[in-house]
Amino acid sequence: MSEMWINMGPQHPMTHGLWNLRVKIDGEMVLDVDPEMGYLHRGIEKISEDRHYNEVITLMDRCCYVAGFAWEHLYILAAEQALHIRPPERAEYLRVMSDEFQRIGSHLMWYAAFVQDLGLMSPFLYGMRDRDLVLDLFQAYTGARLTYEYMRVGGVRNDVPPGFTDRARKVLDWLDDRYREYDALCMGSTIFRERCDDLGILKANDCVAHGVTGPMLRAAGVRRDLRKDRPYAVYKQIDFDVAQADAADVTARYLVRMEEMRQSNRILRQVLDWLDHHPGPMMADNLPRWLGAPYAPIGNEGYLLKRSYPKGTGFSAVEEPHGEACAYVVNEGALHPYRVKFRSPVFSNISAARQYLVGYHVADIPPIMGSVDVCVGEVDR
Amino acid sequence: MSSATLYSVSYALAALILNVIGFIIPPIRAPITNVDVVTVLAVLIFGALLLAASMLNTILLIWWERKLLGRFMDRRGAMHVGFAGLLQNFADGFKLFRKNTFQPAEADTLGFYSGPTAYMVTSMILFGILPISSGWNSGSLPLSLLLALAIFSFAPLFIFVSAWSSNNKYSLMGGMRSAAQMIAYEVPILLAVVSVVILSGSFSLTTIVYEQQNYWFWGPLVVALIVFVAAMLAEMERIPFDLPEAEAELVEGWNTEYGGMLFAFFMLADYLRALVGSILVVLLFLGGWTLPTWVPSAATSFPLAGILWFMLKTYLVFGLFVWVRASLPRVRTDQLLRVGWNRMIPLALLSVFLAAALVTVRCVPVFGCVPSAGA
Repeated sequence: MSEMWINMGPQHPMTHGLWNLRVKIDGEMVLDVDPEMGYLHRGIEKISEDRHYNEVITLMDRCCYVAGFAWEHLYILAAEQALHIRPPERAEYLRVMSDEFQRIGSHLMWYAAFVQDLGLMSPFLYGMRDRDLVLDLFQAYTGARLTYEYMRVGGVRNDVPPGFTDRARKVLDWLDDRYREYDALCMGSTIFRERCDDLGILKANDCVAHGVTGPMLRAAGVRRDLRKDRPYAVYKQIDFDVAQADAADVTARYLVRMEEMRQSNRILRQVLDWLDHHPGPMMADNLPRWLGAPYAPIGNEGYLLKRSYPKGTGFSAVEEPHGEACAYVVNEGALHPYRVKFRSPVFSNISAARQYLVGYHVADIPPIMGSVDVCVGEVDR
Repeated sequence: MSSATLYSVSYALAALILNVIGFIIPPIRAPITNVDVVTVLAVLIFGALLLAASMLNTILLIWWERKLLGRFMDRRGAMHVGFAGLLQNFADGFKLFRKNTFQPAEADTLGFYSGPTAYMVTSMILFGILPISSGWNSGSLPLSLLLALAIFSFAPLFIFVSAWSSNNKYSLMGGMRSAAQMIAYEVPILLAVVSVVILSGSFSLTTIVYEQQNYWFWGPLVVALIVFVAAMLAEMERIPFDLPEAEAELVEGWNTEYGGMLFAFFMLADYLRALVGSILVVLLFLGGWTLPTWVPSAATSFPLAGILWFMLKTYLVFGLFVWVRASLPRVRTDQLLRVGWNRMIPLALLSVFLAAALVTVRCVPVFGCVPSAGA
């Protein structure tokens, strides 16, 4: 067979979303790759400029469909900074709880998709089954399983229902056992190690050069986690370790994500204990009327109310399950943000595809891309 | 039991049918009850019975896999059509039957249609030559084992033909992989079989089964069994060796462009080959339709006992394949070749030497003696 280009995507089992990886192959060898994004562009940043601050939250859930809470949190942090609002502490704890459950949910989704790429059938369903428990928890306190619209500028929508923390602890106990099971199925399998060791290597300096962040960066031996390095919300008060591995290959990324799930369990136990003993308000008490949840005033009334409110800009950076996401919100004195800009970690991570795909086999593309954990919703926004 | 064979049953049926017709229409009674006419009809009925049995077993096998896989994955498998989902596969089959057959614009028509047909037909022939019990035995071919393996190894050719004529890059890569895979498993499979042949002194599957009356061959030839099962997994293109249709990177591999009944052909033939693979394991290593001598004779003396035990063993062996599928990831082409040549072939050679030693010694302390080895 001579050299040829094949399109892996936009409709292909490997992509886990709507994007196209053009691959130049010679037989089974990958000679060149060319990632093409943009199939899922919905103009979320532009739409945000026409929406009330609280209405943007709806769009954030759609940014990444497996990590809605992380993106809500990202936007909320920037918006609160732009609007000079401080949320109450209990709301911050509830946000961290949502974030960490979301991290577990997202990583379980990644686990399911990743092992499926390797041809492992059963762990796919195990991962989805256990993610369902996390989604059930979300449903218990937000009413939704995927698009929550739970966080608000100035706090969160509502408190967790009675008995929620005990139920959540039961889920954590169950998950602790399951992590061991996952490890036995993957790290205990010779074929898994044969497939994943020394595969898709992206060294630390390449990661930095291409702006690759998150588990991929930590798997390359860099101990960087925004929750530690630039603590937001209440992460400063919480005791946890940053997962890290040195091999920079697919196995290392697997190990990092597994360790992150364990650390999330650890964080969640502390957060749940805090929530049990510290009742308090859900929303900041000095919120301006035009921002009051859940009903925002419409039309002139809002503009009149807002005229005297100070302008400002807000920047936030959040350790999303896929990497470091950033947001920039400009408040120019209207009911809606003047400009919203996001940085998607996955966009950078798959833009570096040439660095970690070329030179391997065609059969290696799915596990490598699986280890990147692609979420196309946030790539295109 | 031994008196009623599949052929004698078919012959009796043919004679009955023709005599009934002759009784209804007396003028043609003499010509159609001629022994030649009866024989021709008997052969046709014989073939129809084989076909029905193979299709029925294949569909049952798919059900068995779906249920087992479901349980391994913590779900229930097919549940709703028929008792415990037994008829689900028939429903799926009818659905595929009703679908339009799509042919890509630039596909080569001859190859596109002849590939799946030949794949299906060779797989069916395979089922026809295998003995299932002392009665279910389409002639005692002296070289039936060799014939079975020869027909078995046709498949990559037809896969390659249909892949190439689909005019799809993914199909072509799947076909290439299928051809490469054949190089990896064909030699170990033959070497593993050689040790059985040495121990039993025959290429006839029926003889091999009867040679296992003192002990089943899996005991002394456990290494050969492991090699044979592993190579069979590659031959049947099942996980962990389903590289030609690795859905993660090749969409559906060589059958990407096939839909409707042509896809059903591939699907049925795949499972038919899986059935034949399990049957070969049972025949070569697990004593075929016989049971160990210490089992009370009541267990083997009722009608169709041979077929029952045989099918039980076959489905258990296939259950093992399903278990493997549920718990192992897929290997890569170069890794499969490496395993085939660096691991399986030496192990199979070791087993050949072991078999030769066993034949020389004739009797093994734990297992007993080979009835007529080397004689």
